[in-house]
Amino acid sequence: MRLYVAVWLGLLLIVAAEVALTYAGLPTRTLLAALLVLALVEAGLGLMYFMHLKYERRTLFWSLIPALIFVFLMMNQFWSDAYRLRSLHQ
Amino acid sequence: MSVALPHGGMLEDSPFGIESKKLVMWLFIIADAATFGALLFGYGYLRVGSPNWIRPFAFLPTILNGMVMTAVLLTSSLTMLAAVRAAQGGNARRRESVRWLVVTALLGIVFAALHLREWFNLFAEGWGPSTNPMGGSVLFGGTFFGITGLHLLHVLCGVVAILVVAVAFRRGRLNAGHVETTGLYWHFVDLVWMFVFPLVYLMNAR
Repeated sequence: MRLYVAVWLGLLLIVAAEVALTYAGLPTRTLLAALLVLALVEAGLGLMYFMHLKYERRTLFWSLIPALIFVFLMMNQFWSDAYRLRSLHQ
Repeated sequence: MSVALPHGGMLEDSPFGIESKKLVMWLFIIADAATFGALLFGYGYLRVGSPNWIRPFAFLPTILNGMVMTAVLLTSSLTMLAAVRAAQGGNARRRESVRWLVVTALLGIVFAALHLREWFNLFAEGWGPSTNPMGGSVLFGGTFFGITGLHLLHVLCGVVAILVVAVAFRRGRLNAGHVETTGLYWHFVDLVWMFVFPLVYLMNAR
């Protein structure tokens, strides 16, 4: 249980860092990248510790997570179209 | 290790070494993660495609409210873990587990209440799924209410599920595996919020 409390505190600190970064006057893209990295760290902590994935069999991790990461990577295909849409509206 | 069934068939062990209900919940979680991912990517696409996107959220009250909501949800994940731990501690700790489940559900209700209060404040200011009182892209409302609405639906369904499991576990009809499986769902809902809060709230902070 103490480990869970430590992870919980870590997650709260990451949220505080995210809010601090938001008001640090960063360029939009830098802020987005920073927030995404921190969110992924939070997700990793949640998955591995709260959802216990670290302590399950490796086959469970490798069957679930790489497929999801692949899906998210493939969703990045359309960004060029988003910029095309932006230029149509300008 | 295989087990013989009465009619002559064979049952194999799960290759993942976990109960079926837990594996099914994991599969659902991965599918739902892709769903939320698609919505968030769609929001990103529409935002990049809208040159007239306005960032409307002031620190007070919206971002602060969001921080409180995040803390509430994170704490509810911790209380859920306490419930699972107690459930796995046998019959002696069954009532303790039920108490933690109820606390988790209450925290979920607090989250939903804070969220609905925020929504109604936004409605009062003229925000809606297709209206923008600040004159910017109306897609803001569609993406904001769509994403937070789907998440809120997951929270509410989770609260109901936790309470149903709490009652049934208390009566001995469900076991610790059910509590753990419900816990997985609840942590997933928290995990989604870890992406919704920065991408939908913080990226729209003034």
